[in-house]
Amino acid sequence: MDPIVTTSLTVSLIAISVIFTVLVVLIYTIKLLVHLLPYEEPPASKPTRATSQNSLVNTVTPEIISVITSVMATHLKKSPQEFHITQIRPK
Amino acid sequence: MTLGDATMILVACVLLYLAIWKKFEPLLLLPIGFGCLLANLPLSMMASTDSGGLLNFFYQGVKHEILPPLVFLGVGALTDFGPLLANPSTLLLGAAAQIGVYTTLVGAVFLGFNLQEASAIGIIGGADGPTSIFIASKLAPHLLAPIAVAAYSYMSLVPLIQPPIMRWLTTAEERKIKMEQLKPISQTVKIIFPVVVTIVCCLMLPGVTPLLGMLMLGNLFRESGVTARLHETAETHLINIVTILLALAVGSSMTADSFLRLETIKIIILGLLAFCMATAGGVIFAKIMSKFSGGKINPLIGSAGVSAVPMAARVSQKVGAEEDQSNFLLMHAMGPNVAGVIGSAVAAGVFISLFGDPTVVSNHAEISTNVISTISALSK
Repeated sequence: MDPIVTTSLTVSLIAISVIFTVLVVLIYTIKLLVHLLPYEEPPASKPTRATSQNSLVNTVTPEIISVITSVMATHLKKSPQEFHITQIRPK
Repeated sequence: MTLGDATMILVACVLLYLAIWKKFEPLLLLPIGFGCLLANLPLSMMASTDSGGLLNFFYQGVKHEILPPLVFLGVGALTDFGPLLANPSTLLLGAAAQIGVYTTLVGAVFLGFNLQEASAIGIIGGADGPTSIFIASKLAPHLLAPIAVAAYSYMSLVPLIQPPIMRWLTTAEERKIKMEQLKPISQTVKIIFPVVVTIVCCLMLPGVTPLLGMLMLGNLFRESGVTARLHETAETHLINIVTILLALAVGSSMTADSFLRLETIKIIILGLLAFCMATAGGVIFAKIMSKFSGGKINPLIGSAGVSAVPMAARVSQKVGAEEDQSNFLLMHAMGPNVAGVIGSAVAAGVFISLFGDPTVVSNHAEISTNVISTISALSK
């Protein structure tokens, strides 16, 4: 076999071994890091959003829904029976 | 105008067509194509070799290895290493996909290239454009244009090249494997990770420092949370500006005398081989890992070990979803995908350490020379 081909085969074997060695070292380093610094759940945030959603539920009256439905029906050029509003989210 | 110039203008038009109408890596092929067009207009003084011309100045950024590491800075700022940190064993898939690099290296030597040229061609299998340009400009600058064009063309063809290989190497049962949800990772680990990778990899392979160092700096901008402006600049404006300069510089090197050669056809063929072998290497290794893990790993994520981020991960998701619509592999495939970026940079570092300019890496070159001498002696 041509010496340059043999050399290229040897270089390939050495290089792939080096890559695997470096990456295996990295794997164990990451595992150690994750073990030493485990993920902790962030402290529960104050239920501000829930409160605002509750207040929204309280303020969205059937009249408001019917107004929104009629505006949407005009905009979509559809009958109000053809669609149904399932959720109103605050901006 | 010579026949060669006219042919290269035609090649430029084909690249522009592929970029604009076929949407093949348009962010890169469009400026490469236009750079090629400018470089081949007679008396325009826009070729990379025209001293004093505009694109010659841009080309200095490639020649002196400035632009590819800056692209890596932007890539680092864009990359979330979370999936990799949650499942670190996927780093092995990033290593396995580099098999494509080395089989192509041997193939290139068979086709008559020397070891430096073969290394630069082989790195196309890493599916990483900036790394290919970095290595080509360092080890085989005369082959830069065909290597860059092959790398970016095949990267855009990942969704066409990979799926048949993935289906051929896996069974329907294997493609249906659902993987466990990834564990969350603490922000402190995400911050320490780029620093640790830089220290570990750059101490083991000094040649990899420009690429990996910049990649990890970009990621530290992202994860530290204290450099929002630098992070935003790196992931948007900087990477866009550098991409324009890099692609125009590569395009300007596509002159008739450097591109219209038999070597270009050989490189195009070897590039395809590199992508196919890289995909196969990743999938086969993932199959082995799947067997050892008791079927907890879907072998399809192995193909994402090539570093075409995030396209290769999307291909894994798509092929998996074809078999089972409720199977979501995307986040699992992102692990090997970003591992592929590190893997291809490490592969580049190995080549630089073995064949790089001894004046740049003097100490390491001495060691490399000894290694090569030993290898040559052994092969005799």
